[in-house]
Amino acid sequence: MKGLGADAPYWQALQQGQLKLQQCSDCSQWHWPAVWRCGECGSWEQQWREVTPRGRIYSWTRSHYDFGAPKGLPLPYVSVVVELAEAGNLRLLGHLAANSDKQPAIGMAVEGELFHCEVDGESIPAWRWQPGNTTTEAAQ
Amino acid sequence: MSTQKFCGGVSAVGVGLRQYKRGEAPMPEQGVLVQAIVDACEDAGINPADVDGFVSYGDDKNEPVRLMSDLGTKNLCINTQVWGGGGGGIAAAFGLAAAAIGSGQARTVVVFRALVQDNSGRMSAAVMRHHLNDHIIGAGLIAPAQICALRAQRMFEYHGISNAITEELVRASYYHGSRNPEATSYGKELDIDAYRNGRWIAEPFRLFDCSRENDGAGAIVLVADDVAKDLRKPPVRLLGVANGCEKGWGDLLENDTHYDSAGFRPVAKRLWEQTGLTPSDVDVVQLYENFSAQGIASLIDHGFCSYDNVEEFVRFENLIAPSGALPVNTSGGNFAQGFIHGFGTAVESVRVLRGESANPVADARVCLLAGGPGAPTVSSALFGRADL
Repeated sequence: MKGLGADAPYWQALQQGQLKLQQCSDCSQWHWPAVWRCGECGSWEQQWREVTPRGRIYSWTRSHYDFGAPKGLPLPYVSVVVELAEAGNLRLLGHLAANSDKQPAIGMAVEGELFHCEVDGESIPAWRWQPGNTTTEAAQ
Repeated sequence: MSTQKFCGGVSAVGVGLRQYKRGEAPMPEQGVLVQAIVDACEDAGINPADVDGFVSYGDDKNEPVRLMSDLGTKNLCINTQVWGGGGGGIAAAFGLAAAAIGSGQARTVVVFRALVQDNSGRMSAAVMRHHLNDHIIGAGLIAPAQICALRAQRMFEYHGISNAITEELVRASYYHGSRNPEATSYGKELDIDAYRNGRWIAEPFRLFDCSRENDGAGAIVLVADDVAKDLRKPPVRLLGVANGCEKGWGDLLENDTHYDSAGFRPVAKRLWEQTGLTPSDVDVVQLYENFSAQGIASLIDHGFCSYDNVEEFVRFENLIAPSGALPVNTSGGNFAQGFIHGFGTAVESVRVLRGESANPVADARVCLLAGGPGAPTVSSALFGRADL
């Protein structure tokens, strides 16, 4: 269930509370899904960089129908695709925190925190995104 | 158009379609499939035992070798299917069949798809099993509807397109389905209030933005043009097929480059180059609409309209036969005719060019079949009348 294997360091980092994403050691191309070999330059050397879970909503959907969602995601919930500027605009998935009273919108700044949901009795680390403080971000 | 015939000249000569309400097929999947194949052979006027090739898509479970005793198959020369769990392989299957015939590997090839859910389970779950991993599931994304909803939201919100236009496409499908005795929605036009107030599934999709799921099977027989001309029905030529994707699209955990599209841009470009045809040469379109927005994105990807003028183009009046400029889904499509993994749209591509459609398009000479929008690989085919 955890992909085809090249993403193992991603899951190991999550267990330690960190977000790590893969970047080619030779040409600096970011890769997600993770790769064994960089298709851009042919390098087999990939490194896992710690990335701040901060980005912008690229798209979103609010699910109302129960397709078999993980425990811990009560309906309706908003799934989001989040673009991470710090990681070459790679996109991560997750859900928008239920306590957010803001209507989701493309471009909305969000910050991620780890969240554990349950699927088939197994705990899965996932991302919960909160609307970020855009003024703080702008000031940085 | 191109003077070079695709794969030396291959035509669809027989169609069969058996469709039932989900859970109500009168026999298990393999039995329904045998019936559909025999129907297609009878339609063509050929002996089912002479079929020597079989091609499918979407993880069909019916390995052709198991059909041989029922069909009386003398020689099994080609048995294959297109990779991928979605409907993106539907048109590509015709390309494989034609390649087999054009290269002399087989003479009489059936493209088929069978789906009886007591045997194969829910379609949507089967499609998603290809893509699910913990990262996707942890985001609550379990079903194709949700993935397509994310892409639809990007198309509408980023490009500033009113999502009210989906109603135009859905209405057109139901208009045709209501006039097609074989359609699930026969006799019932779309109730606009029911559409607009339908329960939410995954925003921006409400209930009637989503395709049906039916039990059934479909089959289309293909042979070389020189064989086709002596058979029962007017042959419908396969003018070209394009399949796949390009760099930046695929099974990428929602990192696809043209995320607002249905994935057809590179495929459509190849199809137009291959055939020498353009969107203006197309008289009628059979769109695989898994979801309303993906049908619209398919039209944009193929160049019938753009993000800028889609609201003017996707109008009910424009999309219905016989009067519309570009009739779409003349059988009712996946929304209103029924959904056996889209195979009804392939069957209708042949019927509308034979003049057999329940919603005829006068003088239709070229029909586009666009399959599996939003899937990691998609495919499109152009069919044409033999006298084109």
